[in-house]
Amino acid sequence: MTSQRQNTPAEASKNEYFLRGEGITKVYSDGTVALKEATLEIHPSEIIGLLGENGAGKTTLTKILSGLLPPTSGRVVSPKGLVHFSSPRAALEFGIGMVHQHFALVGTLTAAENVALSHKNPFSRIQLSKATERLEALMEESGLHVPLDVPVEKLAVGEQQRVEVLKVLSRDVDLLILDEPTSVLTPLEVDELFALFKRLRNDGKSIILITHKLKEVQSITDRIIVLRHGEPVGDVPTETATTEQLARLMVGQAFEQEATAVDLSDKELPLKRERKAVDRIATSVLHVEDLVSKSNTGDIAVHGLTFDVFGGEIFGIAGVEGNGQTELVESLTGLRVPTSGVATINGTNIIGLDPRQIYRLGVAHIPEDRWELGLILPFTLAENAILGVHQWDEFKGPMSFLRWGKINQHVRDLMERFDIQATGPGAPAKSLSGGNQQKLIVGRELAKNPDIIVAAQPTRGLDIGSAQYIRDLLVEMRNAGRAILLVSADLDEILALADRIAIMYEAEFMTICSPDDLNREQIGLLMGGVKPEEQAE
Amino acid sequence: MREEKLERNSPRYLRGIHRTLTGFHPAIESVLAAIIGLLIGAVVMWLWGYDPIAAYSTMLKGAFADKWGLADSGAIAAPLILTALTFSICLRAGMFNIGAEGQLIMAGLAVVSVGFFSLPPGLHHVVALLFAMVAGAIWSIGPALLKLTRGVHEVVSTIMFNWIAHFLAIYLIGTILMNPRSADQTIPVPSTAIFSKLVKGTDLTYAVFVAIGFSLIIYFILWHTTIGYEVRAAGLNPSAARYGGIKNKRTILLSFILGGVSAGLAAAMILLGSSSTHAMYRLHGQLTNVGFDGMAVAMVGRNHPIGILFSALFFGGLNAGGRLMQLGSSPVPVQMVRLVMGVIVFTMSIPELARIFPAIRRYSVKLVRDLRQLGSSAGRRQSR
Repeated sequence: MTSQRQNTPAEASKNEYFLRGEGITKVYSDGTVALKEATLEIHPSEIIGLLGENGAGKTTLTKILSGLLPPTSGRVVSPKGLVHFSSPRAALEFGIGMVHQHFALVGTLTAAENVALSHKNPFSRIQLSKATERLEALMEESGLHVPLDVPVEKLAVGEQQRVEVLKVLSRDVDLLILDEPTSVLTPLEVDELFALFKRLRNDGKSIILITHKLKEVQSITDRIIVLRHGEPVGDVPTETATTEQLARLMVGQAFEQEATAVDLSDKELPLKRERKAVDRIATSVLHVEDLVSKSNTGDIAVHGLTFDVFGGEIFGIAGVEGNGQTELVESLTGLRVPTSGVATINGTNIIGLDPRQIYRLGVAHIPEDRWELGLILPFTLAENAILGVHQWDEFKGPMSFLRWGKINQHVRDLMERFDIQATGPGAPAKSLSGGNQQKLIVGRELAKNPDIIVAAQPTRGLDIGSAQYIRDLLVEMRNAGRAILLVSADLDEILALADRIAIMYEAEFMTICSPDDLNREQIGLLMGGVKPEEQAE
Repeated sequence: MREEKLERNSPRYLRGIHRTLTGFHPAIESVLAAIIGLLIGAVVMWLWGYDPIAAYSTMLKGAFADKWGLADSGAIAAPLILTALTFSICLRAGMFNIGAEGQLIMAGLAVVSVGFFSLPPGLHHVVALLFAMVAGAIWSIGPALLKLTRGVHEVVSTIMFNWIAHFLAIYLIGTILMNPRSADQTIPVPSTAIFSKLVKGTDLTYAVFVAIGFSLIIYFILWHTTIGYEVRAAGLNPSAARYGGIKNKRTILLSFILGGVSAGLAAAMILLGSSSTHAMYRLHGQLTNVGFDGMAVAMVGRNHPIGILFSALFFGGLNAGGRLMQLGSSPVPVQMVRLVMGVIVFTMSIPELARIFPAIRRYSVKLVRDLRQLGSSAGRRQSR
């Protein structure tokens, strides 16, 4: 059966495609270029793996194909002509359905009601009974079985996902797009899902699978498209693709290997050369032992991590987002109480302390989410500049009066020292550009004169100038003997800045090593969950 | 993307209240809303055959033209300032406290109970004010604790506490606090605790300075102390406040207590000041709606203690002058005043409406496009 299939897409690609994206470019309103001239073709009855790092444009691409987002330029064509999706519903009518990472289900309604809801006139009685009937037939046909008369919130996550898939299948789609479908499933459920994919493919449907996991992609897909920085850098048949090749494509350096390397270390990130300038201080500033932490959903997000961060070094944590980095940072900064384990700063235990007490111990925290955590947007620059340090004696007078004179002076100093472009201390933080907002946060944190700086995704979404400026500051602090814990999904950043790196995958460190010990390919594999011994094979 | 992030920061209804119409200063917005309210009131009067110009001139003259008018407006404004503060302080902390009404009633009971003992003047005033503040604060702690320990939504709990206070007051007024000589009311506040008149022949007493003073204190707490800083930070972005080492539970409790104190003082303003009998009636009519009107005052005052002073005087004037409207050469029913108040509150929420319009436009454009597409595809199907 498989041999028969393998030839079809290749032969048919010239005349028989289901959908083709031509030169799709997407520029978001804040100037981020998410997709650059992406061109791809989707044939009937094939499973495509869409690979790429965070921010490579995978989600943007699928959102455009499923009608959630309009492209800035470029077009989507089908054999029948130009297609234009003004809404997800229009895309569904055309035959494209998407299952998002976060399910769009109404928790209190049953599976049948949820499916009926996606149809027209969802509230009519006929529609509901029809939906139930159809659903039963569909379940028989697809082998996807879910209880129909139970509110979906009572179902297991895997079952909820099946409801989502059924919802889309019930609209007779030809192309099914799934965003990270396996991240919430148990291995058994993954097997079931993949078996379904194969059945659907044999029925002539196409499937696009977004994932970070190399092994999964290789086990199920027919063709793999790799996106990097918004451009498709590879479109390879799965049987000819090697894991190494895919990892390389994902993290770059696939083509013109030498040129890219020079480019990174010399022009964009001139920091690496300075790295040997300072010897790290022998005593550890942050000591973590067997730290276990749970995510908001109750899963283990940090599983028994042990590491030290020394003064005068940048300890970088690389890895695909969502592998526990956020929970780790929160556990170390007082925002999340770890389940067990030890964490000390300069020998003082920090487990159970609140953020304010932890800052007093010499911790600065540049948070991952600058709008949600780092800033209070309607507040002024001055008000934001004292967040977390407002109880310190420099800013608080007798009777807890705020010393606005000193605070405003402090803000003016920050603005000058950290090159923050704003009209003055009284300007609201939301009036600042993203780069200046981040400089304000970084400035506020560095002004604490910290022993350790926990920087989570410190340059995400920033323009090159601001990003470089912030990286320079981190190196400056490191050269001044401070410890820095840098968490970043940007591998180039970690490689350029870090003295030691840890690669995090599914709540654990795959390895802790010097960046010189590994090449990008090995790092790419580790980020995808492939252990060194497996790599050797 | 950015828009989405912002949306998540605080509950939807709170953001609407902090937001201003594009570009305008909040004060100008409030004045505009007041003018629109008055204009719509005028149109309604004209439709019903009244003379709006005569009515408004009677009203404004009666409210603001002379010393006595201004004094009467101020007397009505004093308790409104304080109940508006109750609402605003909690809103700044991110809480929608509509329990001023119940806190006011409980504080009223505490105030009249100072009639059970005699103290020298001055001290008696202070004791009465303290009773009011403590009673108001205690009654507001209930909903706060329910919120903090059990997650009960403050809107639900404060409404329920309002009703508990209402019936508890009816019971207490009819029993323990009953005036033996006049069974439909409580014992009166003794003259040693009553504030003397600021302007003879009006309801304005020295109590108004308590209201103004408290308003200024709240202003200083909110904008010039770390306590107020924490309250406002937690109200605008709870997760960022947590990151900044602020304990949100503490700021919520604190805002409820301050709000309760403020509502308590409002009851004292009425019973130690403007009320003619200085006693509570069986259905505590003097206190009814003062808590809710305070919310309108807070909205027009943009939840700022200084803004509230002005908007309370405006609403006080509407009420004081409105009473005269029904007496003039062309009498207008006094209910017109409440209509104007209602329109003003609606107008204040126009920033919300102004944001809805583009969304409606976008949606209808989309709808037309979809329909066209549907039509053309149906056409194609037929031709096939």
